[in-house]
Amino acid sequence: MQQDIQEQLLEFICRNFMVEKDEIDIEKSLVDTGIIDSIGLIEISTFIQNKFGIMVKEEQMNRENFGSVVKIVKFIEIEIKK
Amino acid sequence: MKPSFERCTKCILSASFPRIEFDENGVCNFCRNTFLFTAEDDVIEKAAKDIESLINEYRGKHEYDAVMCYSGGKDSTYTLMLAVQKYRLKVLSFTLDNGFMSQTAFDNISNVVDELGVDQITFRPSKKHMQAIIKASAFHPIYNAKSLTRISSVCNSCISIVNMMSLKIALEKNIPFILAGFTLGQIPVNSIIYKNNYQFLKESREAPLARLRDKAGKFIDDYFSIVDSLINEHTKYPSTLNLLCVEKLSEKQILEAVNSIGWVEPADVDGCSSNCRLNSFSNMVHEKTFGYNPYELELSRLIRKGLMTREEALEKIKDQPVEQQRAAMNELGIKEIDLDKLSQIYKK
Repeated sequence: MQQDIQEQLLEFICRNFMVEKDEIDIEKSLVDTGIIDSIGLIEISTFIQNKFGIMVKEEQMNRENFGSVVKIVKFIEIEIKK
Repeated sequence: MKPSFERCTKCILSASFPRIEFDENGVCNFCRNTFLFTAEDDVIEKAAKDIESLINEYRGKHEYDAVMCYSGGKDSTYTLMLAVQKYRLKVLSFTLDNGFMSQTAFDNISNVVDELGVDQITFRPSKKHMQAIIKASAFHPIYNAKSLTRISSVCNSCISIVNMMSLKIALEKNIPFILAGFTLGQIPVNSIIYKNNYQFLKESREAPLARLRDKAGKFIDDYFSIVDSLINEHTKYPSTLNLLCVEKLSEKQILEAVNSIGWVEPADVDGCSSNCRLNSFSNMVHEKTFGYNPYELELSRLIRKGLMTREEALEKIKDQPVEQQRAAMNELGIKEIDLDKLSQIYKK
Protein backbone atom coordinates (compact mmCIF):
# COMPACT_ATOMS: atom_id res chain seq x y z
CA MET A 1 0.00 0.00 0.00
CA GLN A 2 2.84 2.34 0.93
CA GLN A 3 4.34 1.96 -2.54
CA ASP A 4 0.99 2.62 -4.17
CA ILE A 5 0.40 5.81 -2.16
CA GLN A 6 3.91 7.01 -2.93
CA GLU A 7 3.46 6.36 -6.65
CA GLN A 8 0.18 8.29 -6.74
CA LEU A 9 1.69 11.19 -4.80
CA LEU A 10 4.79 11.30 -7.00
CA GLU A 11 2.68 11.21 -10.14
CA PHE A 12 0.61 14.12 -8.83
CA ILE A 13 3.75 16.10 -7.98
CA CYS A 14 5.38 15.36 -11.34
CA ARG A 15 2.39 16.34 -13.43
CA ASN A 16 1.22 19.22 -11.30
CA PHE A 17 4.57 20.87 -10.68
CA MET A 18 6.13 19.87 -13.98
CA VAL A 19 9.08 17.90 -12.64
CA GLU A 20 10.55 14.50 -13.45
CA LYS A 21 10.58 11.75 -10.81
CA ASP A 22 14.36 11.69 -10.71
CA GLU A 23 14.36 15.39 -9.74
CA ILE A 24 12.53 14.58 -6.49
CA ASP A 25 14.50 13.55 -3.43
CA ILE A 26 11.79 11.79 -1.44
CA GLU A 27 13.64 12.32 1.85
CA LYS A 28 13.96 16.09 1.44
CA SER A 29 11.51 18.97 1.75
CA LEU A 30 9.74 19.75 -1.53
CA VAL A 31 9.86 23.44 -0.55
CA ASP A 32 13.57 23.44 0.32
CA THR A 33 14.41 21.70 -2.96
CA GLY A 34 12.48 24.34 -4.92
CA ILE A 35 9.85 22.00 -6.34
CA ILE A 36 6.88 23.70 -4.69
CA ASP A 37 6.04 26.94 -2.90
CA SER A 38 3.37 27.68 -0.30
CA ILE A 39 0.54 27.25 -2.83
CA GLY A 40 2.10 23.89 -3.71
CA LEU A 41 1.74 22.80 -0.08
CA ILE A 42 -1.93 23.79 -0.22
CA GLU A 43 -2.37 21.85 -3.47
CA ILE A 44 -0.81 18.69 -2.01
CA SER A 45 -2.93 19.00 1.10
CA THR A 46 -6.13 19.32 -1.01
CA PHE A 47 -5.01 16.48 -3.30
CA ILE A 48 -4.55 14.02 -0.46
CA GLN A 49 -7.87 15.05 1.09
CA ASN A 50 -9.69 14.45 -2.20
CA LYS A 51 -7.75 11.39 -3.31
CA PHE A 52 -7.55 9.47 -0.05
CA GLY A 53 -10.60 10.87 1.73
CA ILE A 54 -8.51 12.25 4.58
CA MET A 55 -9.54 15.33 6.53
CA VAL A 56 -6.33 17.20 7.35
CA LYS A 57 -6.76 18.97 10.69
CA GLU A 58 -5.11 22.33 11.37
CA GLU A 59 -2.75 20.85 13.97
CA GLN A 60 -1.65 18.20 11.44
CA MET A 61 -0.46 20.82 8.97
CA ASN A 62 3.19 20.87 9.94
CA ARG A 63 6.65 19.93 8.78
CA GLU A 64 6.46 16.62 10.60
CA ASN A 65 3.63 15.47 8.29
CA PHE A 66 4.41 17.46 5.13
CA GLY A 67 8.21 17.81 5.33
CA SER A 68 9.00 15.35 2.50
CA VAL A 69 7.38 12.78 0.20
CA VAL A 70 8.29 10.04 2.70
CA LYS A 71 6.65 11.97 5.55
CA ILE A 72 3.51 12.74 3.54
CA VAL A 73 3.15 9.07 2.57
CA LYS A 74 3.57 8.02 6.20
CA PHE A 75 0.96 10.59 7.26
CA ILE A 76 -1.52 9.33 4.63
CA GLU A 77 -0.97 5.71 5.70
CA ILE A 78 -1.63 6.49 9.36
CA GLU A 79 -4.73 8.54 8.56
CA ILE A 80 -6.19 5.90 6.24
CA LYS A 81 -5.87 3.28 8.98
CA LYS A 82 -7.74 5.43 11.51
CA MET B 1 12.25 17.86 -40.66
CA LYS B 2 9.91 18.43 -37.72
CA PRO B 3 8.17 21.81 -38.07
CA SER B 4 8.87 24.37 -35.34
CA PHE B 5 6.15 26.39 -33.68
CA GLU B 6 6.37 29.70 -31.83
CA ARG B 7 3.11 29.08 -30.05
CA CYS B 8 0.57 26.27 -29.65
CA THR B 9 -1.86 26.27 -32.54
CA LYS B 10 -4.80 25.43 -30.25
CA CYS B 11 -4.12 27.56 -27.16
CA ILE B 12 -1.60 30.43 -26.87
CA LEU B 13 1.26 28.86 -24.89
CA SER B 14 4.65 29.92 -26.24
CA ALA B 15 7.50 27.65 -27.26
CA SER B 16 9.42 29.11 -24.30
CA PHE B 17 6.83 27.97 -21.75
CA PRO B 18 8.35 25.46 -19.26
CA ARG B 19 8.13 21.80 -20.29
CA ILE B 20 6.19 22.56 -23.46
CA GLU B 21 6.28 20.15 -26.38
CA PHE B 22 4.38 20.37 -29.64
CA ASP B 23 3.06 17.52 -31.78
CA GLU B 24 3.34 17.58 -35.57
CA ASN B 25 0.24 19.83 -35.76
CA GLY B 26 1.65 22.35 -33.30
CA VAL B 27 -0.68 21.30 -30.48
CA CYS B 28 1.04 21.52 -27.10
CA ASN B 29 1.22 18.82 -24.45
CA PHE B 30 -0.90 21.00 -22.10
CA CYS B 31 -3.77 20.83 -24.60
CA ARG B 32 -3.16 17.09 -24.86
CA ASN B 33 -3.66 16.74 -21.07
CA THR B 34 -0.14 15.56 -20.25
CA PHE B 35 -0.06 17.63 -17.07
CA LEU B 36 -3.63 17.18 -15.90
CA PHE B 37 -3.57 14.60 -13.16
CA THR B 38 -6.68 15.47 -11.17
CA ALA B 39 -10.03 15.54 -12.98
CA GLU B 40 -10.65 19.28 -12.87
CA ASP B 41 -14.45 19.08 -13.05
CA ASP B 42 -14.63 16.69 -10.07
CA VAL B 43 -12.42 18.96 -7.94
CA ILE B 44 -14.48 22.03 -8.88
CA GLU B 45 -17.74 20.25 -8.09
CA LYS B 46 -16.44 19.19 -4.68
CA ALA B 47 -15.10 22.70 -4.00
CA ALA B 48 -18.51 24.21 -4.82
CA LYS B 49 -20.18 21.89 -2.31
CA ASP B 50 -17.53 22.56 0.33
CA ILE B 51 -17.93 26.34 -0.14
CA GLU B 52 -21.69 26.06 0.36
CA SER B 53 -21.39 23.95 3.49
CA LEU B 54 -18.59 26.08 5.02
CA ILE B 55 -20.56 29.27 4.42
CA ASN B 56 -23.73 27.75 5.85
CA GLU B 57 -21.77 26.75 8.95
CA TYR B 58 -20.22 30.17 9.66
CA ARG B 59 -22.55 32.79 8.12
CA GLY B 60 -23.82 35.41 10.57
CA LYS B 61 -21.70 34.34 13.54
CA HIS B 62 -19.14 37.16 13.49
CA GLU B 63 -18.92 40.93 12.98
CA TYR B 64 -18.14 40.20 9.31
CA ASP B 65 -18.48 36.88 7.50
CA ALA B 66 -15.64 37.59 5.09
CA VAL B 67 -12.86 39.96 4.19
CA MET B 68 -12.78 40.42 0.43
CA CYS B 69 -9.47 41.11 -1.33
CA TYR B 70 -10.93 43.69 -3.67
CA SER B 71 -8.65 45.06 -6.40
CA GLY B 72 -11.39 46.96 -8.21
CA GLY B 73 -10.88 44.78 -11.30
CA LYS B 74 -13.74 43.00 -13.06
CA ASP B 75 -13.10 39.56 -11.54
CA SER B 76 -12.94 40.70 -7.92
CA THR B 77 -15.96 42.93 -8.54
CA TYR B 78 -17.91 39.90 -9.74
CA THR B 79 -16.65 37.89 -6.76
CA LEU B 80 -17.87 40.61 -4.40
CA MET B 81 -21.27 40.46 -6.12
CA LEU B 82 -21.34 36.68 -5.64
CA ALA B 83 -20.42 37.04 -1.97
CA VAL B 84 -23.18 39.55 -1.27
CA GLN B 85 -25.94 38.48 -3.65
CA LYS B 86 -25.51 34.70 -4.04
CA TYR B 87 -23.95 33.70 -0.72
CA ARG B 88 -25.55 36.49 1.39
CA LEU B 89 -22.33 37.28 3.25
CA LYS B 90 -21.58 40.39 5.29
CA VAL B 91 -18.33 41.45 3.70
CA LEU B 92 -15.52 43.82 4.66
CA SER B 93 -13.87 44.88 1.41
CA PHE B 94 -10.10 45.43 1.50
CA THR B 95 -8.02 47.09 -1.21
CA LEU B 96 -4.24 47.35 -1.50
CA ASP B 97 -3.25 50.56 -3.25
CA ASN B 98 0.18 49.84 -4.72
CA GLY B 99 0.47 53.40 -6.06
CA PHE B 100 -0.29 52.27 -9.63
CA MET B 101 -4.04 51.79 -9.52
CA SER B 102 -6.05 53.36 -12.28
CA GLN B 103 -8.20 56.27 -11.05
CA THR B 104 -11.13 54.51 -12.75
CA ALA B 105 -10.48 51.48 -10.52
CA PHE B 106 -10.83 53.68 -7.42
CA ASP B 107 -14.08 55.12 -8.82
CA ASN B 108 -15.27 51.56 -9.52
CA ILE B 109 -14.51 50.48 -5.96
CA SER B 110 -16.50 53.38 -4.50
CA ASN B 111 -19.44 52.81 -6.85
CA VAL B 112 -19.54 49.04 -6.34
CA VAL B 113 -19.22 48.97 -2.54
CA ASP B 114 -21.90 51.68 -2.32
CA GLU B 115 -24.18 49.75 -4.65
CA LEU B 116 -23.67 46.48 -2.74
CA GLY B 117 -23.79 48.10 0.71
CA VAL B 118 -20.34 46.87 1.73
CA ASP B 119 -17.83 48.44 4.17
CA GLN B 120 -14.49 49.23 2.50
CA ILE B 121 -10.93 49.89 3.69
CA THR B 122 -7.87 50.76 1.60
CA PHE B 123 -4.24 50.25 2.61
CA ARG B 124 -1.50 52.16 0.83
CA PRO B 125 2.08 51.23 1.79
CA SER B 126 4.62 54.06 1.73
CA LYS B 127 5.63 54.90 -1.83
CA LYS B 128 9.30 54.42 -0.99
CA HIS B 129 8.70 50.93 0.38
CA MET B 130 6.34 49.83 -2.38
CA GLN B 131 8.69 50.98 -5.11
CA ALA B 132 11.63 49.18 -3.48
CA ILE B 133 9.57 45.97 -3.36
CA ILE B 134 8.53 46.33 -7.01
CA LYS B 135 12.08 46.96 -8.22
CA ALA B 136 13.58 44.12 -6.17
CA SER B 137 10.88 41.75 -7.48
CA ALA B 138 11.51 42.77 -11.08
CA PHE B 139 15.30 42.69 -11.10
CA HIS B 140 16.28 39.91 -8.69
CA PRO B 141 15.42 36.20 -8.55
CA ILE B 142 13.27 36.58 -5.43
CA TYR B 143 10.79 33.79 -6.14
CA ASN B 144 11.29 30.23 -7.30
CA ALA B 145 10.96 30.29 -11.11
CA LYS B 146 8.46 27.40 -10.90
CA SER B 147 6.06 29.59 -8.94
CA LEU B 148 6.08 32.21 -11.70
CA THR B 149 4.51 30.21 -14.53
CA ARG B 150 1.14 31.90 -14.08
CA ILE B 151 2.07 35.21 -12.47
CA SER B 152 4.76 37.88 -12.84
CA SER B 153 7.16 38.40 -9.96
CA VAL B 154 5.88 41.95 -9.42
CA CYS B 155 2.24 40.78 -9.26
CA ASN B 156 3.33 37.98 -6.95
CA SER B 157 4.73 40.52 -4.48
CA CYS B 158 1.59 42.67 -4.54
CA ILE B 159 -0.64 39.61 -4.11
CA SER B 160 1.54 38.33 -1.26
CA ILE B 161 1.01 41.65 0.53
CA VAL B 162 -2.74 41.44 -0.13
CA ASN B 163 -2.81 37.88 1.24
CA MET B 164 -0.90 38.82 4.36
CA MET B 165 -2.84 42.03 5.06
CA SER B 166 -6.18 40.28 4.56
CA LEU B 167 -5.09 37.49 6.91
CA LYS B 168 -4.10 40.11 9.52
CA ILE B 169 -7.52 41.77 9.20
CA ALA B 170 -9.30 38.41 9.42
CA LEU B 171 -7.35 37.42 12.54
CA GLU B 172 -7.76 40.81 14.23
CA LYS B 173 -11.50 40.89 13.58
CA ASN B 174 -12.11 37.17 13.95
CA ILE B 175 -13.48 36.87 10.39
CA PRO B 176 -13.89 33.25 9.23
CA PHE B 177 -13.40 33.72 5.47
CA ILE B 178 -11.01 35.49 3.13
CA LEU B 179 -12.36 35.90 -0.39
CA ALA B 180 -10.17 36.30 -3.45
CA GLY B 181 -11.21 37.02 -7.02
CA PHE B 182 -8.93 34.58 -8.81
CA THR B 183 -10.10 32.56 -11.76
CA LEU B 184 -8.96 29.02 -12.57
CA GLY B 185 -5.80 29.30 -14.58
CA GLN B 186 -4.63 32.11 -12.30
CA ILE B 187 -4.58 29.60 -9.46
CA PRO B 188 -4.36 25.80 -9.49
CA VAL B 189 -7.60 23.83 -9.18
CA ASN B 190 -6.49 22.32 -5.88
CA SER B 191 -6.33 25.74 -4.20
CA ILE B 192 -9.92 26.92 -4.67
CA ILE B 193 -10.44 26.49 -0.91
CA TYR B 194 -7.73 26.30 1.70
CA LYS B 195 -7.11 26.87 5.37
CA ASN B 196 -4.87 29.88 5.75
CA ASN B 197 -2.60 28.19 8.28
CA TYR B 198 0.08 30.83 8.78
CA GLN B 199 2.56 28.65 10.68
CA PHE B 200 2.27 25.85 8.10
CA LEU B 201 2.88 28.18 5.17
CA LYS B 202 5.42 30.41 6.90
CA GLU B 203 8.40 28.09 6.39
CA SER B 204 7.71 27.80 2.68
CA ARG B 205 7.82 31.58 2.36
CA GLU B 206 11.03 32.10 4.31
CA ALA B 207 13.55 31.70 1.48
CA PRO B 208 11.90 34.20 -0.93
CA LEU B 209 11.30 36.61 1.95
CA ALA B 210 14.95 36.45 2.96
CA ARG B 211 15.95 37.33 -0.61
CA LEU B 212 13.43 40.18 -0.75
CA ARG B 213 14.60 41.47 2.64
CA ASP B 214 18.17 41.40 1.39
CA LYS B 215 17.38 43.35 -1.80
CA ALA B 216 14.62 45.73 -0.61
CA GLY B 217 15.16 46.11 3.14
CA LYS B 218 14.07 44.86 6.56
CA PHE B 219 10.86 46.89 6.34
CA ILE B 220 9.30 44.19 4.14
CA ASP B 221 8.37 42.21 7.27
CA ASP B 222 5.75 44.86 8.02
CA TYR B 223 3.94 43.84 4.84
CA PHE B 224 4.82 40.16 4.35
CA SER B 225 4.69 38.78 7.90
CA ILE B 226 2.44 38.69 10.93
CA VAL B 227 3.75 39.31 14.42
CA ASP B 228 3.89 36.27 16.72
CA SER B 229 1.63 37.91 19.31
CA LEU B 230 -1.29 38.03 16.84
CA ILE B 231 -0.64 34.50 15.58
CA ASN B 232 -0.33 33.07 19.08
CA GLU B 233 -3.74 34.46 20.03
CA HIS B 234 -5.36 32.15 17.49
CA THR B 235 -5.70 28.39 17.25
CA LYS B 236 -7.96 28.50 14.19
CA TYR B 237 -7.22 30.21 10.90
CA PRO B 238 -9.64 31.66 8.34
CA SER B 239 -10.38 29.75 5.13
CA THR B 240 -9.60 31.34 1.79
CA LEU B 241 -12.38 30.84 -0.76
CA ASN B 242 -12.05 31.56 -4.48
CA LEU B 243 -15.74 31.84 -5.31
CA LEU B 244 -15.27 32.70 -8.98
CA CYS B 245 -13.45 29.41 -9.63
CA VAL B 246 -16.63 27.38 -9.19
CA GLU B 247 -18.59 29.49 -11.68
CA LYS B 248 -18.38 28.73 -15.40
CA LEU B 249 -18.51 32.14 -17.00
CA SER B 250 -17.13 33.91 -20.03
CA GLU B 251 -15.50 37.33 -19.72
CA LYS B 252 -18.49 38.80 -21.57
CA GLN B 253 -20.90 37.49 -18.93
CA ILE B 254 -18.73 38.86 -16.13
CA LEU B 255 -18.51 42.27 -17.81
CA GLU B 256 -22.28 42.45 -18.32
CA ALA B 257 -22.89 41.67 -14.67
CA VAL B 258 -20.37 44.14 -13.24
CA ASN B 259 -21.43 46.88 -15.67
CA SER B 260 -24.93 46.56 -14.24
CA ILE B 261 -23.71 47.76 -10.82
CA GLY B 262 -21.68 50.71 -12.11
CA TRP B 263 -18.32 49.15 -12.99
CA VAL B 264 -16.56 50.86 -15.90
CA GLU B 265 -13.56 49.50 -17.85
CA PRO B 266 -10.44 51.64 -17.23
CA ALA B 267 -8.76 53.04 -20.35
CA ASP B 268 -5.25 53.33 -18.90
CA VAL B 269 -4.47 49.63 -18.32
CA ASP B 270 -3.28 46.81 -20.60
CA GLY B 271 -5.35 44.03 -22.18
CA CYS B 272 -4.81 41.64 -19.26
CA SER B 273 -5.69 43.96 -16.39
CA SER B 274 -8.79 45.86 -15.38
CA ASN B 275 -7.33 47.91 -12.52
CA CYS B 276 -3.52 48.20 -12.49
CA ARG B 277 -1.34 50.60 -14.51
CA LEU B 278 1.76 48.61 -13.58
CA ASN B 279 0.60 45.38 -15.19
CA SER B 280 1.96 46.07 -18.66
CA PHE B 281 5.41 46.78 -17.17
CA SER B 282 5.23 43.62 -15.03
CA ASN B 283 4.27 41.53 -18.08
CA MET B 284 7.09 43.02 -20.14
CA VAL B 285 9.58 42.19 -17.35
CA HIS B 286 8.26 38.62 -17.22
CA GLU B 287 8.52 38.25 -20.99
CA LYS B 288 12.09 39.52 -21.02
CA THR B 289 12.99 37.26 -18.09
CA PHE B 290 11.25 34.02 -19.11
CA GLY B 291 10.29 34.50 -22.76
CA TYR B 292 6.51 34.26 -22.37
CA ASN B 293 3.60 36.34 -21.08
CA PRO B 294 2.47 35.42 -17.53
CA TYR B 295 -1.19 35.36 -18.64
CA GLU B 296 -0.67 32.62 -21.23
CA LEU B 297 -1.57 29.75 -18.88
CA GLU B 298 -4.77 31.40 -17.63
CA LEU B 299 -5.97 32.48 -21.08
CA SER B 300 -5.10 29.08 -22.59
CA ARG B 301 -7.32 27.39 -20.04
CA LEU B 302 -10.21 29.70 -21.01
CA ILE B 303 -9.67 28.74 -24.66
CA ARG B 304 -9.70 25.01 -23.82
CA LYS B 305 -12.91 25.45 -21.83
CA GLY B 306 -14.56 27.30 -24.71
CA LEU B 307 -14.86 30.50 -22.69
CA MET B 308 -12.58 32.59 -24.94
CA THR B 309 -11.41 32.33 -28.53
CA ARG B 310 -7.72 32.00 -29.37
CA GLU B 311 -7.93 35.30 -31.29
CA GLU B 312 -9.39 37.11 -28.25
CA ALA B 313 -6.65 35.72 -26.03
CA LEU B 314 -3.91 36.73 -28.47
CA GLU B 315 -5.39 40.21 -28.67
CA LYS B 316 -5.17 40.49 -24.89
CA ILE B 317 -1.54 39.50 -24.53
CA LYS B 318 -0.56 41.69 -27.46
CA ASP B 319 -2.31 44.70 -25.92
CA GLN B 320 0.70 45.81 -23.85
CA PRO B 321 0.97 49.57 -24.45
CA VAL B 322 4.58 50.73 -24.48
CA GLU B 323 3.57 54.16 -23.17
CA GLN B 324 2.18 52.49 -20.01
CA GLN B 325 5.43 50.58 -19.54
CA ARG B 326 7.49 53.77 -19.97
CA ALA B 327 5.24 55.71 -17.58
CA ALA B 328 5.69 53.01 -14.92
CA MET B 329 9.45 52.93 -15.50
CA ASN B 330 9.65 56.71 -15.14
CA GLU B 331 7.75 56.59 -11.85
CA LEU B 332 10.03 53.81 -10.60
CA GLY B 333 13.25 55.43 -11.86
CA ILE B 334 14.07 52.50 -14.14
CA LYS B 335 16.08 53.07 -17.33
CA GLU B 336 15.85 51.15 -20.63
CA ILE B 337 19.37 49.83 -20.12
CA ASP B 338 18.31 48.20 -16.82
CA LEU B 339 16.02 45.89 -18.80
CA ASP B 340 19.04 44.27 -20.48
CA LYS B 341 19.81 42.31 -17.29
CA LEU B 342 16.40 40.64 -17.16
CA SER B 343 17.14 37.67 -19.39
CA GLN B 344 20.01 36.65 -17.10
CA ILE B 345 18.55 36.99 -13.60
CA TYR B 346 17.28 33.41 -13.30
CA LYS B 347 20.28 31.98 -15.16
CA LYS B 348 22.88 32.88 -12.54
